[in-house]
Amino acid sequence: MSGIRGPFYSAVAVILLTACGSNSTTSEVATSTARGTLIESPPLRIASLDAAAFTAQLSATATGQELLELAGTPTCGVDFYYVQYWTVGGANEAATATGALMVPTGTGASCSGPRPIVMYAHGTTTDKTFNIADITNTSNTQGALIAALFAAQGYIVVAPNYAGYDTSSLSYHPFLNGEQQSKDMIDALTAARTALPLTLAAATSDNGQLFITGYSEGGYVAMATHKALQIAGETVTASAPASGPYVLSAFFDAVFYGDVNIGSTEFTPLITTSYQRAYGNIYSATTDIYEPAYATGIDTLLPSTTPIDTLFEEGKLPETALFSSTPPVTGNAVLDAALAVPKNPIFALGFGASNLINNDYRLSYVLDAVAHPDGAAPVPQPGLPLPAGPTNTLRIAAGLNDMRSWAPHAPMLLCGGDQDPTVFFSLNTGTMQAFWAAAGVPAEVVTVLDVNAAVAPHDPFAAAKVGFQTTEAEILASQGQTAAVESYHATVLPFCIAAARGFFSQF
Amino acid sequence: MSTTIKATAAGAVLALTLSVAYADDSVPENTVRIGMYYVHYHSSADDISGPYVPTGLNLSVEDVETLYLAYVRRLSEHFDLELAAGWPPLTKTEGRGPATLGSVPYNGQVISTARWFAPTLLLNYKFFDDSHAWRPYVGVGVNYANFYDRRSTAAGNAASGGPTSISLPVSVGVAGTVGMAYHLKGPWSLFLSYSASVVKSKLTADTAGVERTTDISFGPRALVFAGGYSF
Repeated sequence: MSGIRGPFYSAVAVILLTACGSNSTTSEVATSTARGTLIESPPLRIASLDAAAFTAQLSATATGQELLELAGTPTCGVDFYYVQYWTVGGANEAATATGALMVPTGTGASCSGPRPIVMYAHGTTTDKTFNIADITNTSNTQGALIAALFAAQGYIVVAPNYAGYDTSSLSYHPFLNGEQQSKDMIDALTAARTALPLTLAAATSDNGQLFITGYSEGGYVAMATHKALQIAGETVTASAPASGPYVLSAFFDAVFYGDVNIGSTEFTPLITTSYQRAYGNIYSATTDIYEPAYATGIDTLLPSTTPIDTLFEEGKLPETALFSSTPPVTGNAVLDAALAVPKNPIFALGFGASNLINNDYRLSYVLDAVAHPDGAAPVPQPGLPLPAGPTNTLRIAAGLNDMRSWAPHAPMLLCGGDQDPTVFFSLNTGTMQAFWAAAGVPAEVVTVLDVNAAVAPHDPFAAAKVGFQTTEAEILASQGQTAAVESYHATVLPFCIAAARGFFSQF
Repeated sequence: MSTTIKATAAGAVLALTLSVAYADDSVPENTVRIGMYYVHYHSSADDISGPYVPTGLNLSVEDVETLYLAYVRRLSEHFDLELAAGWPPLTKTEGRGPATLGSVPYNGQVISTARWFAPTLLLNYKFFDDSHAWRPYVGVGVNYANFYDRRSTAAGNAASGGPTSISLPVSVGVAGTVGMAYHLKGPWSLFLSYSASVVKSKLTADTAGVERTTDISFGPRALVFAGGYSF
């Protein structure tokens, strides 16, 4: 063996010497868990579309063509980034969350250089995997909407998925928790501002203007974020919350009295879980609120990776029956009438045999509402105040998160549709408008848009009104009244967000 | 290590042990060769999978030429042990699939590069005897491939969505060769051979913590033209 050793090892040594060298590196991972920390730096660009390619993709489908008609032809390309950041949960626990940063690109004057930022808060989804940054997912309609309406027209867009969704480390979603959700939005904004100069579209920068909009749950979140930024002394150029449940205390009371909104069996578990995690006193056991058929596991049911229709089929949730069709009887004629199945057929859908919330809890809630009435519903009181001294913990939590706690300084557009069966327009938007008017907020600060209202002469929102009303009429004609009612809330969405862009463009 | 590779390695060791004892002292026992590798990659890969990856995204590998170096130990009149290696070539991987990803060019773009440290140990059987100038041979052995200096190119980063690191674990596979040796004069010879190796690995691209993967078979086919000096 000695004869082979020398040359053999020499040959190996020569070859091994050539095997040294480094490999290219990827992004840096932040070690800090402080709020607003960008976790992966730079962030992942999921897709990049120039204006022509974006136009072509939208033109390829019927819904895309409708969106083009609403948003206009893209003048900018859009880079879609996936931003991961640190925020907090409902109990102020550290948590990761994700979202989108959409950056306009291109050579047009409105596509690079200093540009305004629009924050968008999305509407409720039961899909735990929801990722608004994933423009490659054809079901991501809200992502496509804000990309076409804002990013392709020169706005930088920041849109969190919310803690509890996508790859968030939080095991639940702090639904309608104003403090947490505004922190989530602000943390996404902080991370996005960190990410922006590191992106492949680094020629686009923040010009200091900040707009906030959102729809449904996101309408509420947009308003809560405007409030939080204003309190913190941060710039808000204007906001446009749309179809949001701002007046949570009165809204919950209306539902428990019997005005059951469409989607209530999905919203209720999200609400009770969120507030139980934040305050710890909503229930001792889920059976305190829920019927035994649904109580087990309902605190971890939503959001879910299982489609909501499958959860209905599997009996994990009733589709519409929030309350029993055999309501509690107290012997008090007025109260019993209030608890009875309502004559309104839409509200009556919320009553059934396989109901979600047990009669005892509904009765205890309503008795508290009778003893400590909300100033907005069922009977409006001067100044529309929150209830005084409620004892029901869900009502207390609703009051803590109710938006009758502040008044905006920056301009705000409140948009919605007055026949909305999911988030009642008059009770929420109308109450906020009246509350602020009573509080002395100048009329020019708050503009209210009902897309279902008649078009006025020189109406700046004529396009949104005509667009919504035409679409709703088409659904009614082609699919019938039930479909038109069930889809009403979703139908309002694009027209309110388009109106928001028009509103923002004046600043 | 697969059964085949184990058997090949064991056979090589056994042959070495047996034949060293019977080597003819009048014939040089050592040869070094230098020449050129012309490597054609008969590559195939699964479509790339992972988050945000459209269907039909694939890869191919560009052919390379590089310096061939080998040390050959004569075991007997008919058996040699060859340790061959190319000067680690810069191998380029191209995107295959749609022309663009969104608006980012993909098909035909060089998206990553890597250098290969890929020595091959072969036990060769030579036909005819030492008196023949022309001696065809066949060999079988083991290839070891280590991929280093792995880099995602600017085009690769654009397609992946940002700075990307490439992981490509070591491959160990069977190798075979057929060749012809020609004794020129004294210690000098010429060699022509054609070799094939099994080189498989799992390519993982990490962009901002998002991993995309594919199993890739490089299937290198190497034509070698070399000169040798025996001592």
